[in-house]
Amino acid sequence: MLSHFLLMVVYSLLVSVFFTALWRRDRKEQRKLFLQLFLGMVVGGLVVAWLMYPFPPGPPAPIP
Amino acid sequence: MADPGTTPAPQAAERAAAGNPLLAAVLAWLVPGAGHLLLRRPRRALLFFVLVVVSLVIGCRLNGNLYTPLPGQPLTYLATVGCMGMGLPYFLLRYLFGYHGDVVAAGYEYGTAFVLTAGLMNLLLVLDAWDIAVGKKD
Repeated sequence: MLSHFLLMVVYSLLVSVFFTALWRRDRKEQRKLFLQLFLGMVVGGLVVAWLMYPFPPGPPAPIP
Repeated sequence: MADPGTTPAPQAAERAAAGNPLLAAVLAWLVPGAGHLLLRRPRRALLFFVLVVVSLVIGCRLNGNLYTPLPGQPLTYLATVGCMGMGLPYFLLRYLFGYHGDVVAAGYEYGTAFVLTAGLMNLLLVLDAWDIAVGKKD
């Protein structure tokens, strides 16, 4: 359950389905918006991760 | 501008009779999807209920934070409002089950994102239910 990628995919799925149901009524438009949102989040997340890859990780955040 | 003497279009008449906006908004806030159920959108109500509850359950399983206001940390007030957006589940989790999250858990940050998202999605559902009830949306 703690796979970063799996969690990102699940999160993207939930949010994409939610906004698709909230914003669109037509089946064709729903499919289009869902794909835009879902792929935008997953692919966008991977691109940002890839861009950040060369940077070294910082120190762990302090526990409040 | 429509002629005041003409009969309104069927769709507009149907929209105007959608329901009580205040009741729909309060129900939508208390129980995810209940506002849409009241407004006779059962399929959408079920879908929204499942989405909010699944997000919340994943968030809790990952020990995400169920925010409360902390003195000197203004952003926690905002986050608390976001979490309280989920309505009844927030109060049940906090006061019945004593849930508050676990800051040292491995999934804490992810869990917090899921919990906050559940609250924010439900807040949007409140606005959606209101819009449907007043006839602004279908």
